[in-house]
Amino acid sequence: MKDLLTPRERFGLLVIDEPQDRVPVFPLVTAHAARVAGISVRDYYTDGVAMARSQLVAQETYGIDFISFFSEVGLVAEALGSRYDYPEDDLPLLKRPRWESLPDLGHNPNSSAESGYVPRPADPLSDGRLRVYLDAVAYAYEARGDTVPILAYVPAPFTTAQQLVDQEAFLLGLLTEPERVKELLSYATVSIVRFCRAIIGAGGLPILVDPLASGSVISTEHYREFALPSEAEVIRYLHRYDLDVVLHICGDTRATIAMMPETGADLLSIDRIEIPAAVAGAGQRCRIIGNYDTSSILLSDPQTIEREITEMMKAGRSCPKGFVAATGCEVPVDTPPENVRAFVRAAKEAGVNSGYGCLTSRTRRTSQTQ
Amino acid sequence: MSAERDQGIKGPRDRVPEWADPKPERVTFEQWLELFDRVPDELIERYHYYGNRDAWSKYLFPPQTFSIYGARHLRRLRFDNSLASLRMWGFVQNETERLFRARQTGRRVIATMGDLGAVPVIVNSFPGCVAFYPDCIWWTPFVMESRVLFDAAAELGIGDAACFSRAALGAFAKHSYFPDPDLVVASTGASCDDYSGVEQLAERFAREMLWVEEPLRKECRNPNGECRMDCEAGVRLLTQEYERVVEAMNRVTGHELADDELRAGIARANAVRRTVSRLRELAYGRGVLAALEMMVIEFGNLHYYSDTDEWTAVLDHLLATAEGRAARGESIVDDDALRVVWVTPPADPLLLTYVENAGARVVGTEYVINQALEVIDESGPPLEAIAGSFMAASLIGTSRARAESVVRQARERQAEGVIISGILGGSHCAMDTRLISDHVKQELDLPVLEFDVAPPSKEIGLQLQTRIDAFLEVLRSRR
Repeated sequence: MKDLLTPRERFGLLVIDEPQDRVPVFPLVTAHAARVAGISVRDYYTDGVAMARSQLVAQETYGIDFISFFSEVGLVAEALGSRYDYPEDDLPLLKRPRWESLPDLGHNPNSSAESGYVPRPADPLSDGRLRVYLDAVAYAYEARGDTVPILAYVPAPFTTAQQLVDQEAFLLGLLTEPERVKELLSYATVSIVRFCRAIIGAGGLPILVDPLASGSVISTEHYREFALPSEAEVIRYLHRYDLDVVLHICGDTRATIAMMPETGADLLSIDRIEIPAAVAGAGQRCRIIGNYDTSSILLSDPQTIEREITEMMKAGRSCPKGFVAATGCEVPVDTPPENVRAFVRAAKEAGVNSGYGCLTSRTRRTSQTQ
Repeated sequence: MSAERDQGIKGPRDRVPEWADPKPERVTFEQWLELFDRVPDELIERYHYYGNRDAWSKYLFPPQTFSIYGARHLRRLRFDNSLASLRMWGFVQNETERLFRARQTGRRVIATMGDLGAVPVIVNSFPGCVAFYPDCIWWTPFVMESRVLFDAAAELGIGDAACFSRAALGAFAKHSYFPDPDLVVASTGASCDDYSGVEQLAERFAREMLWVEEPLRKECRNPNGECRMDCEAGVRLLTQEYERVVEAMNRVTGHELADDELRAGIARANAVRRTVSRLRELAYGRGVLAALEMMVIEFGNLHYYSDTDEWTAVLDHLLATAEGRAARGESIVDDDALRVVWVTPPADPLLLTYVENAGARVVGTEYVINQALEVIDESGPPLEAIAGSFMAASLIGTSRARAESVVRQARERQAEGVIISGILGGSHCAMDTRLISDHVKQELDLPVLEFDVAPPSKEIGLQLQTRIDAFLEVLRSRR
């Protein structure tokens, strides 16, 4: 069935609390787009035009309501000095973080450093692969920006910080050197804000992604003390532009869901949490994006997916602020295309708003010139 | 920063950080991003529409915000670099959301179509009512560089052979550009035929449609060409039609409009019209505002971008900026720029940017909204006064009357040329353009450039660029 609205029109209504013709559909197709377009995954994340073309092909092939750019959470950390390997047909792998232990960045006046050294923030135009994203956003925006929202995932400060320092040292630092962790978060935030600004200039809507702040990795207390304030700082910046901000935290967020609206996020993209629990925790303040299991979309069959998506939609449509039918995390690279199609088909069918545009609430009248 | 340059943000209602506009300049999309970095959060927090204080009613945002939501053409325009201009663009670009928020906050949303300026004066006099023109959506395909609305209109039977205003029909069909109106007041008659067609096709999407007849303006000329307008019958007819509008609004709102309310509505409309009149003098006479911003300002007279009070404040801010520039002898266009009068509003705003980039400045306009520029008589019976002002409408009279307005402005501002941007398929353009062109040449011996605006695109077509460049070269050579 042909849609009445374009994805952009649909998203526009969602973010101003208006009903849409149907629920927006957003399986998080990121590097899987490389498979759809028939290019190597490495080409996807090292060449902005290739990334954009892959996403355009995937968006059209599947009929998805968004174009979203993402490869891995180390993007900003790489631009700040962490080293990554680029396997031919897999996502970048962290080879060596910039620091083996928590650095003394000297931001804190109570720091014991005799002379705090603050390395320069990342330049979005020249450091790491940030430019790849910007090129991709600009290309896709010119190609389809009138009809489809162009999203760019930006790793949040907490996730970025864990890619800058040996992860064990970082997590231990949460307990033993919290001030140094906060200095590091501040340092990462500066580069992240700069990157967001560049994405805005290119025509993309930044999405904040903070998977390493999930309950699968840290405690509720640490989320509140470390991750949440830095997420909120980036979101405050994005709100200067009146942007509708998505915060994506995959993994288990059952313990933190009620706190997540405090970041200021307008939409929460969730993973391992039941939708009714997400609605109870955050649904009065945020739209919910979620949350079909990614292992199911990889391993299951289309019939099962359709059945499960129909069930998910029943729960999702109870969200008072609105719902986007999505996967809980990225669609795995090797997901069979028929499974993604099944997801999209089922979500669109179950998400139709049959009352959209009907003028049934009042009597329709016509009066003629006398 | 100099306090005396702190234009439009003075006053006791808020303590705001000092803001000094930079030297007047037309800046690019990217330059506005740099400027916006300097805008303090307190200023962003200051401006709200509908007198609301919720976060959704803020509107001081840069072109980038609207670009991200699809307004791709903004990336190619040049903007006035003042805070007032930023405020104006943010306010105008925000209108779709504002209309939905109007409905969400309990206001009645009334679509007014076709007459371009008169009926909103009545509608906005009703408490809690907001008038808007779907007609103005004709800019949306250009601003978004998109055929989406045209395609939607084509599916309903009105295709590329019709005026760009058909975009309004696509918007009705989609229910996503404005809330379904509580009432549609559709004016037709001695006006644009294409748009009458759009209105008829849009009726299926209206809860209630009230048709209003626009009379022809009789213009009696003696052998010397002097004209005597005979408007009595027209005013009589229109007054009756407006009485029907009032009746319909009384019924829709459940509120009986009082004479005082209507008079107050006229006074508010006139305040806007007087401010715009002064801005026209300053911009077209002194070059303190550019043509792009002025087109947005002039069209604000139609329905005040759905919030009369806030639009009035935006205009006051712009006027303070313009007067400040005039007092300091500043201008946003080159002193020796070529002076042109622009006839018929360009659906593609990039045309204004292009012409100004090429070294011209607009010193007068005939944007077919003369009726919205006239100050309404506040002394007589109010509906009759609104009808009387409407009789100045550009499109209900002869092409000769439009041509005379162009000639008058060209003489007053020593214009060196006239540009007429026509609309392929626009019924009045097909007739008016040549007649206006001939009259200007005959009366003033000025070069006239006529062209049809091309469908939405990322750039001005090369052929048209060449024609504009050549035209301006001719004007230069005549100096």
